[in-house]
Amino acid sequence: RPSCCGTWPGAGGADGVTVSPRPEHHRQTARFWRENRAEAALRERCLVPAEEYERFAQALEQALAEHQRREEERILQMAADIREAERRQRETVQAALQKYCSFFLNRTQLQTEPELCAGPSVCRLPAGPERDSPCAAEKPGPSGMLTGPDLAWMESGQVLTFIGHQETEGKGNVHTGAKPPWLTEEEDGSKQQIGPSYEEFLKHKEKQKLKKLPVERVGANFDHTSQTSDSWLPSFGRVWNHGRRWQSR
Amino acid sequence: MSFLLPKLTSKREVDRAIKSVAEKVLVLRFGRDNDAVCLQLDDILAKTAHDLSKMAVIYLVDVNNVPVYTQYFDISYIPSTVFFFNGQHMKVDYGSPDHTKFVGSFKTKQDFIDLIEVIYRGAMRGKLIVRSPIDPNNIPKYDLLYQGI
Repeated sequence: RPSCCGTWPGAGGADGVTVSPRPEHHRQTARFWRENRAEAALRERCLVPAEEYERFAQALEQALAEHQRREEERILQMAADIREAERRQRETVQAALQKYCSFFLNRTQLQTEPELCAGPSVCRLPAGPERDSPCAAEKPGPSGMLTGPDLAWMESGQVLTFIGHQETEGKGNVHTGAKPPWLTEEEDGSKQQIGPSYEEFLKHKEKQKLKKLPVERVGANFDHTSQTSDSWLPSFGRVWNHGRRWQSR
Repeated sequence: MSFLLPKLTSKREVDRAIKSVAEKVLVLRFGRDNDAVCLQLDDILAKTAHDLSKMAVIYLVDVNNVPVYTQYFDISYIPSTVFFFNGQHMKVDYGSPDHTKFVGSFKTKQDFIDLIEVIYRGAMRGKLIVRSPIDPNNIPKYDLLYQGI
């Protein structure tokens, strides 16, 4: 809520800090006190003496300036760190490219100007994009590189056999989301149907109907797959044996 | 204990393996039998196959026999190892740019075992891509720039 002089402190003023005119403020304060019947003694405590206010304003300005300075310093430092990291990355890549240039030139008799890969200073990544050499990447800076530079691999000792760039003539591959070969069935001679045949489907429907019958009915547990011999006969409750039917349980 | 790893020699056989191996990681090593690094890798695969038999099935595939697959998986370097689970190609983030296959050989048997475990567990939890547990320093680095030349 606004202070007793009826305005928000800090209204106006570019730096957000104002000191309201003193006499006017005194009058307003006095009136406020009278109107709200506040204790006169409190007034002394609530009123911020002019000097104190001055001091506060100055301290605030100083703190603000200090803070801004610190922030700027921090940002400049971060920028410097990033530049340094980029520089180191570039140097690493240059060194790697150096090796590739000589390796590649040895493997294939590519006709290039000899000075292109004569030394690290020459095989530098171009500052502008227009210089082309077989070893340089298209864009300068680490954002243009496909592989993260890491010299550790050179010591790992694996020289992988290169079997050639895989041209697909527009068919696409795993990287472009083409249809995988195991899902492309052309020459398979067997039935193309997926899922059960029509007869199996009808049988399945019959079985579903059976499920609707009461579970406790007689013969629900009839095992249709059991084999019986030629001499099998239904159990008539000991007709061919002696005794009552219930005795045969 | 090691034994000879089974081989797949045609697209149809590879198809069948992908579609029929169930509830285990399918490991397909694409390469050539007498290539130096393939020999290294095959040795690791053979020696670990038995211990991993509950989780993985391993086959060797000669890249010359399956040009369709060699092209589909963009296999420019051998050996390249591709992983599947229940007919689904599993991707792994090794910290290298290509998540679709593992290129080169593993440094140790344990690296391969750990990787299979991670793929198996990830697949069981429904993940299609997992992060490799292998120390990035042990992942062979190769240069994609060759393709630009």
